[in-house]
Amino acid sequence: MMDKNKILKKMKEYPAVVGFIGISIFFAILSDRFFTLSNIINVFRQVSIQAIMAFGMTMVIISGGIDLSVGSTFALSAVIMASVLKGGSVFLGILVALVVGALMGFANGFIIAKGRIQPFIVTLATMAIGRSLTLVYTQGMPITGLPSSFRVIGRGNLLGIPYPIIIMLGTFILIWFILSNTKLGLYTYAIGGNETAAKLSGVKVIKYKIIIYIISGVLSALSAMLLTARLNSAQPTFGSGYELDAIAAVVLGGASLSGGRGSVIGTIFGALIMGVINNGLNLLNVSPFYQQAVKGAVILIAVLLERED
Amino acid sequence: MLLKLENITKKFPGVLALDHVNFELNNGEVHALLGENGAGKSTLIKIIGGVHKADEGKIYYEGKIVSFSNPSEAINNGIATIHQELNLFEELTVAENIYIGNIKKAFINKKQMIKEAQNLLSKNEFNIKAESLVKELNISEKQLVAIAKALSLKSKIIIMDEPTASITEHETQTLFKIVKELKNKGIGIIFISHRMEEVFDIADKVTVLRDGKYIGSGYVKDFDQNELINMMVGRKIDDMFPKYNSIENETIFSIENLKIGKMVKNVSFEVKKGEIFGIAGLVGSGKSEIPLGIYGYMPAKWDRMIIENEEIKKIRRPNEALNYGIALVPEDRKSMGLILELDIMKNIIIQNTDLIEKAGVLFWSKAKKIAKAEIKKYSIKATSINQKAENLSGGNQQKVVISKVLKKNPKVVFLVEPTRGIDVGAKVEVYNIINRLANDGNGIVFISSELPEIVSLCDRVLVMHRGKNMGILEGEKITQENILKLATGVDI
Repeated sequence: MMDKNKILKKMKEYPAVVGFIGISIFFAILSDRFFTLSNIINVFRQVSIQAIMAFGMTMVIISGGIDLSVGSTFALSAVIMASVLKGGSVFLGILVALVVGALMGFANGFIIAKGRIQPFIVTLATMAIGRSLTLVYTQGMPITGLPSSFRVIGRGNLLGIPYPIIIMLGTFILIWFILSNTKLGLYTYAIGGNETAAKLSGVKVIKYKIIIYIISGVLSALSAMLLTARLNSAQPTFGSGYELDAIAAVVLGGASLSGGRGSVIGTIFGALIMGVINNGLNLLNVSPFYQQAVKGAVILIAVLLERED
Repeated sequence: MLLKLENITKKFPGVLALDHVNFELNNGEVHALLGENGAGKSTLIKIIGGVHKADEGKIYYEGKIVSFSNPSEAINNGIATIHQELNLFEELTVAENIYIGNIKKAFINKKQMIKEAQNLLSKNEFNIKAESLVKELNISEKQLVAIAKALSLKSKIIIMDEPTASITEHETQTLFKIVKELKNKGIGIIFISHRMEEVFDIADKVTVLRDGKYIGSGYVKDFDQNELINMMVGRKIDDMFPKYNSIENETIFSIENLKIGKMVKNVSFEVKKGEIFGIAGLVGSGKSEIPLGIYGYMPAKWDRMIIENEEIKKIRRPNEALNYGIALVPEDRKSMGLILELDIMKNIIIQNTDLIEKAGVLFWSKAKKIAKAEIKKYSIKATSINQKAENLSGGNQQKVVISKVLKKNPKVVFLVEPTRGIDVGAKVEVYNIINRLANDGNGIVFISSELPEIVSLCDRVLVMHRGKNMGILEGEKITQENILKLATGVDI
């Protein structure tokens, strides 16, 4: 048994968990449909796409950076993947998507680390470029009619658990392991905490920053794959605004935008909080016009509560 | 009596920061506040300056009981604090910095403001232009700006928190001249410093705190240095500068014609096994850049560098320097040495991941053992290996930096200002570590602005002036006077 103090300490460490439980209880009381297995699976499946992107964003933000280009990377990898898929090979399509994500991430990381330019500016630019490339590539038209063997990824399930949830949990475990048990993870915290000290300690800061942005790009492509498979099409407008959802999940999870602090456990619950709010408000028939305002209010309340004096 | 504190007590969660402390300050008096880190000096000046509120006790200011609820109330009543970090706006002008807290109008007449500021500066013989940007000034000029700001507010008490910690000997003398003039104007000055000789130089009275308790106070002339040290540390430190290294005949490190941009020009030196080699010089002389260049942090060139018979052509990054056996304890432990958000264990491991790593995966159980052993080895005072570095005292932070740097078993160790801002007890521990390190056959390069420690600790001393090597002093020639002469460009 954990004693009371330990539980309190854990609660302080992961305020997003507390927030998630609180909001869930709130909706469970107001709607009897909320706390059903099918609805819970529904929430997790809806959240999986944002959550996977947010895991990559977690690493970027802990390292003291930001990646605004994830939404554009999402769209670009989705449309290129879809066109390769139409050519036949599912494996090749997925591979190409991940490579596109990795290239976008590499470009971000390389310019940020080698060129020593602020991540906000660099990824703002690559966000615009990525979106433009997507529109040029598709001429603004959606790509539809994908092979059914690919659509399974978005719609199939294993023992009743949809594949997107399984892929999200797999990614979660991977990023959690990287952050807590690998050199890359330790260096991510170190670079975000104090880049000069990290460099003087012999950390190859440029290399690790590039790796971190590549991971963010690849995870954007991975979540693009899930949405494309689920909708059976790739739209050039995919992913707009997703970067803000990802950042919001990371911040709700307790990370600091100035770097050095954050956890992927916090992030998954940050994403779940946003998912539960969407879902709960839908169940309560609240007009979708209000949903953004509620999300915004929750973010403000969360950061106010987490503020350190 | 200008200020009188009676039985001031202040508790923070888990610590009794001040325990019935008394303090008195008269007009025109410089009162030194002495104590090791954690003794309660900062808490006391924060209570005087309105940052904290005392839990118990009374404050009399000009005869009346006062209780300031925030810093601006204290400032408006004539109590100014000049913090170590100075808190100036780098991108604004000197004039704007002086008047920023005191602007009553919505629109500012910049010309008028600059004129007023210039008057104030000239009246006090501060040689600064009111229209310069603060970022263009050096640290001691910035200090003058902070003092001018205090004067513009007609302050009656000026609190100076370690004003000499980051300025040179020469600048310190200039500062002391100004302090004396403030004194003549009747201003009461509370002066915090770690440097004993400065207390004797400038202070009229002294109050010593230890572990939050009032130990004693009186006229400086009634004490000698050892008495004050004993009051501060509560135990006898017979020898402030232990020295017991023995030099071997073998050279472990040598460099010829080191060049670092415009900062360092053709500097050559060599270090023997077991030797403590000092580098002295004023701020901006290039002494701090030498280790950064050799270590691969700043772009540097040299004709020949040899570490234990191996010639090294180029070092592009710190990780290469580490592989060659070069270690650096950097100048500022907070901004260069530690990741403050991380715990002690991770700070030690960050430079030593190879000890606990297999294919990129870290085995924390090994790290725990290492960190526990290091805490013991360097007697780092901490609640556990998982205490965050930011919550350690200055001396213990420095020991964590030293631990992580030495864990690699380097051959030559550069230490830059390793005792800056740490208490007397911790300083002695650092000197002992350096001696032991030398006796293990390492070469030590000791770079410091504190002349007493350079003189007492080093076997030879290279003195820098404007990027040039002015000469290497040896034996009896190593004196504060000789170093100062060379450092200011005077031949001896």
